[in-house]
This record gives sequence, structure tokens and C-alpha cells, in this order.
Amino acid sequence: MLKSSIVKTSSFHSIIGESSIVNPTHESGQKRKLDSGELLLTALIDAFSILVIFLLMSFSSTGEILYLGKNQELPKAALATQLERNPVIKIDDNKYYVEDAEVSPDGLVAALLDLRKKFQEIRPNEEFPGIITVQADRRVKYELLNSIVLASAQAGYSDIKFAVVMK
Amino acid sequence: MKKHKHLDFEINLIPAIDLLSTCICFLLLTAVWLHVGSMDVKQAVGGQPASETAKKPTVWVQLDGQGTVTLEVRDARVPAKLAKTKLQGKEGRPDLEALSGLVAELKKSEPGLVTALIQPQAATLYEDIINTMDAFKKNGMVDLGVSPL
Repeated sequence: MLKSSIVKTSSFHSIIGESSIVNPTHESGQKRKLDSGELLLTALIDAFSILVIFLLMSFSSTGEILYLGKNQELPKAALATQLERNPVIKIDDNKYYVEDAEVSPDGLVAALLDLRKKFQEIRPNEEFPGIITVQADRRVKYELLNSIVLASAQAGYSDIKFAVVMK
Repeated sequence: MKKHKHLDFEINLIPAIDLLSTCICFLLLTAVWLHVGSMDVKQAVGGQPASETAKKPTVWVQLDGQGTVTLEVRDARVPAKLAKTKLQGKEGRPDLEALSGLVAELKKSEPGLVTALIQPQAATLYEDIINTMDAFKKNGMVDLGVSPL
């Protein structure tokens, strides 16, 4: 099958010159007999290795903490810290979501207290960290965020982490 | 005639290519292209009464909806011209360059200044609050707080 293949009948002038494996024509003009089709795979493996290294560097083993909606764009910040897994309050389409469950602005405190109660039931010997993550679009006005700030203060969450995209 | 054992050997690269291709597919599917972080703030309004709270140098930052930023330094010795400053916004947004310069100047005159309390207004954009916090953090003011309306 190879005898009639393109490798056998055509001549490629590669930058490697005459030493190229894909060039079947010998210096003397005689056609070298090829037993099998050979390709220079080293360059391919080099490229693959570089790709794997690059992708491994951008690999995250922590998993997704936030799910961004289509219309949601987080603000950008240069000096942001690594995002950790904490209860998430999301503002989407002027609606509030506590851990993906829709909550009315008046129900925020109750929802946060419920989360706090659950934490203390699951981990009775651990101190309650009192941290929440806020996820909101960058164009949202503070009047919407204010309800979260007030509710978290009332429910005993002293630390607020605003989710941002790292610059 | 004695035959010499051929010393050159060939490594079969096909399994290596298979493995690398699988790795690339897996990593491409699981790669995180958007790095999400967090801007940490404390509640500016705490449960403790003011008399029990230790006084430390603080900058109170008022942000309005038109991009005007007002900085007021409390409990710190800074030159009078820096004690209360008003920065006009640029195209309705805070002038971050001017703000950064002013914060650097404040930090230079009072190195112990690490706390900033941000007081946004109802119309203040979330992005402007984050940009302001970022400007403060860049100048070494890491203890940030946000107050409710």
C-alpha cells in the first residue's frame, strides 16, 4: 500500500534538508526504498509536552466555587486573595440567592442564620468563621448590596468576601 | 562472520502520543480560564460600643454616585491639607489615579495608617467600590471595611 502512497512518489523540501525522513529522494537522485512510512514525531511530542505543561499550570484542583451567569460580569481587582469555600450570596436580576436558593431581601437574615445553625450542628467543636462570599454583577448599585451587608451583620457574619476576577 | 548486535534502539512513541493527547483533552476540558478571587472586607459597623474600641488611624472614604471621593483622616497626625480631601470624579467614575496618589501621600505622612472604612451611597456602583478598595490595597492599606447605608 505504501508503494503507491504519496510519501513514495512525492518529494518534500524541508528545512532540515536532505536528512528529512519524509524526503524519499537520495542525494544521488536514486529513490530510497521505504519499508514503512516514517514521520518525525519528536517535534510533535515536544509540542504536546509544552501544551500539557501549560495546561497543568492553569489546572485548578479546588473545583468551581462560583457559577457565573450569562449576564453576570464580576468586577476586576489586582490585589485579590484566593477564593475559599464559604456560603455564597448571589445577586442576579435584582434577586437574592443564598446558596442558589432564591430568598427575599427580608428573608436574608433568616437564611444566613439557618446556615449558621447547620454549620454548628455539623461541626459542634469548631468555631463559627462568620464569612460569606458575595457574588454580584459589576454594574449593580450599592443599594442592592446594602441588604446583604446589613443581613450579614445581623446574622453574625463579620467578614465579607466580594468575588472578583483577578487582573 | 559474526553478526554484531545492533546498538541503536527505537522507542515506540505511539503510546506516548496517545497519553499526551488524552492528557491534553482532559486538561482542556477542566482548565480554568477565569481566575476568581475575593476582596476581603470587614463590617465597618461592629457590635462593640465606640468607647471600647481602640482608636487607630483610619481613613473614612465617602463614595457618591457621581464618582466624587471624599477622604477624611481620623486619629492620625497628617498635614492639614490631607486631613480632608475631596476628589472629583472623571466621567462619573472615581479618578483612581488621583486617589492612588493621594493614598500614597497619606501613607507616606502616616505609615501606621492601614485602615480604611468605605461609605458608599445607594447609587454607587459595585465596581467603583471594588476599584477604590483595590487602590487602597495597592498602597498598603489592607484593613478595609464597608459600612451599610
